[in-house]
Amino acid sequence: MSRAIVFQSVLGLAMVFGPAVGAAQAFRHQTTVYSDPKEGQLRRPEGVACGAGGAVVVADTGNARLLLYTYRDGSLSGGTQVKLAQVPYPYRVQLDPKGEVLVLDEKLRKIVRLDAKGAFLGNVDLQGAPAGTLPGAFKVDGAGNLYVLDVLGPRVLVTDPAGKVIRQVELPREGAQFTDVAVDGGGTLYAVDAVGAGIWTADKGATAFKRLTESRKDVMSFPTYLAFHQGKLYVVDQHGGGIAILGSDGSFQGRQLALGWSPGLVYYPAQICFEPDGAVFVADRGNDRIQVFDTGR
Amino acid sequence: MRSRIALLLTLMAAAGPAVAATKAPPAKAQPTAAAPKQGNPYRLKAGAEGKLCLDCHADFEQKLAQKSVHTPVRTRDCVGCHNPHASDHGKLLADTGGQICARCHGAMVPASAKSLHAPVSEGKCASCHAAHASNFKNNLLKGGAELCAGCHKKLVDGIAAAKVKHKPVENDCATCHEVHGSTAAPSLLKKDAPDLCVGCHRPDGAIFLKKHMNYPVGKARCTTCHDPHGSNKPGMLYDHVHPPVARGQCAQCHEPPGSPNRFKPKQAGVELCKLCHAPKIGEFTAKARVHRPVLEGDACLTCHGPHASKQAGLPRANLTVVCGECHADTIKRQKLSPAKHEPVGAGECGACHDPHSSDTPLMLTGANRIEMCGKCHDWQRHSSHPIGEKVKDPRNPNRNVDCLSCHRAHGTEYAQMLPFPTTTDLCTKCHESFKR
Repeated sequence: MSRAIVFQSVLGLAMVFGPAVGAAQAFRHQTTVYSDPKEGQLRRPEGVACGAGGAVVVADTGNARLLLYTYRDGSLSGGTQVKLAQVPYPYRVQLDPKGEVLVLDEKLRKIVRLDAKGAFLGNVDLQGAPAGTLPGAFKVDGAGNLYVLDVLGPRVLVTDPAGKVIRQVELPREGAQFTDVAVDGGGTLYAVDAVGAGIWTADKGATAFKRLTESRKDVMSFPTYLAFHQGKLYVVDQHGGGIAILGSDGSFQGRQLALGWSPGLVYYPAQICFEPDGAVFVADRGNDRIQVFDTGR
Repeated sequence: MRSRIALLLTLMAAAGPAVAATKAPPAKAQPTAAAPKQGNPYRLKAGAEGKLCLDCHADFEQKLAQKSVHTPVRTRDCVGCHNPHASDHGKLLADTGGQICARCHGAMVPASAKSLHAPVSEGKCASCHAAHASNFKNNLLKGGAELCAGCHKKLVDGIAAAKVKHKPVENDCATCHEVHGSTAAPSLLKKDAPDLCVGCHRPDGAIFLKKHMNYPVGKARCTTCHDPHGSNKPGMLYDHVHPPVARGQCAQCHEPPGSPNRFKPKQAGVELCKLCHAPKIGEFTAKARVHRPVLEGDACLTCHGPHASKQAGLPRANLTVVCGECHADTIKRQKLSPAKHEPVGAGECGACHDPHSSDTPLMLTGANRIEMCGKCHDWQRHSSHPIGEKVKDPRNPNRNVDCLSCHRAHGTEYAQMLPFPTTTDLCTKCHESFKR
């Protein structure tokens, strides 16, 4: 067996076994956002969020700003810049059901709430959170509840829309480094362990996570972001340059995208989000751009 | 079915001695010419098992005079290991090296070993033993540490150079290590630490307790602080000692030795380290991206040993090991890459990455990757593909061409750490007009 085959076997095998499902969800490159409307280049964007009515928010991390877009009929418009002292290093972004923007600032380690136009509304005060809580990632559900990954716990804090902690779900302390959390429509939680390349899950009402998958180093290298979309888990494999797709039971369904610099390829991708029409936005951090893919629905 | 087996056995017997001898274990008691004819169907001459061999292999006289002669050689039983006619293995051996030895010495490999010596697991007995004879006991090729230095040169040289020596190590590596495999401990140790150490060092002894500031460390892992192979520091501590440890100020971080929680740190996680290193930790956390272990869980102790280390800065081990505990994929990539990036293999991850914090993604030590690479690779300053701020990457208007436009720093499956199989594949990604 040649060295090349050995080297690629890990992800290569995954791709061989993946296409049956993967083909149906193939990411076809649609367009790329390289700059704001004033030709200001994006720099190391770490976040992108999709919301109701076609709202799209980009965390242009390296430029310490957010860009607010509208995605409609396959095209992107707007690109209003939001630059706030309260958000010096926007890292992860989400849009809540009201259209408000929630930003996790990596430097301040705080979740900040903005209105739909980007005006600062305040920091999310995690009332009732254990002392020393350190948010590392978060998600919002359809009711506006927050799911905050407290990396110091480690645990996931479930809060009401105002930030009051209503539940906490413990993650294992040893042998894992959790980088993101996701929630499905039924309230089941998922967490991704970057070091072990495994997915953990907690049923609605559970007090602790349990393992959903063993290590999937065979199909993902260093996963850092997790999205639940239409019954599937989309795992951003940052170091492996791609997206691994898993069923809600943890079964491997395929892999999309590959490492590279040309349009359609990704280099250290950071966050993904989905539009109802099947468009997928990828914060392509290493390539200083946002890429939009069509999944052909 | 039975008749088929019988037919097969008949055919095997008919195939003659050459085939049979190759497949079956060498016969220990071949009939000799002196035996009755019916017991010597091949009409072997007397001494055919070995004595006769020496008629041609005259150099064996010298070997037989050596201090330690392998039993089959001494008893002139050459066919114990060799096939006299033909073999699929070198030197007419009747099987592979390790397999031949295992016929008599199979018990040398423990059945449930926690650690096995690599030559043993690879069946390379001849790495340490002379098959015929030697002047060292157990047919070893060399004596004592000199033999071990064949593979463990750096370690053996370090032992010789150490100012503070560990007597048992000077005597023989086998004082503490099993040579073939250990059922008790990793690293071929006869027992794991501290059980091995307390065999000689009584932890309840007055001197022992005094040296350890009256902390009852008899159940602690000695090798977290002490280098069992010798060191340049008093007490055989590793060469880099945390200053409070060197000053015997254990109570600076721990409760007093008489306390029921004597080994418990006075504060948890990073808070303890902040007592002395607050300014440094402040510098780390002031940057945009803080390496998660700095803040989480055991914080500093995730990567650092609090007492002593072989390396400056007190990392728990070589950085390839420490960083590799989480970034195994990166280390694996380098291992599989035909082109090696020296800092990765040498455990110098800090040459490019700041392990604590950074304002750039990937925790790089500098924002300008060309300058970073230029610290070691100066050729780009006199002859190079155009790179730098004025050279746009044709694949991506937001990127300038720099070293990582064509190379991956931790290696790839291709030559020169290129991300594509051939140079043509690489170049035509940008120079599309030359694509065929």
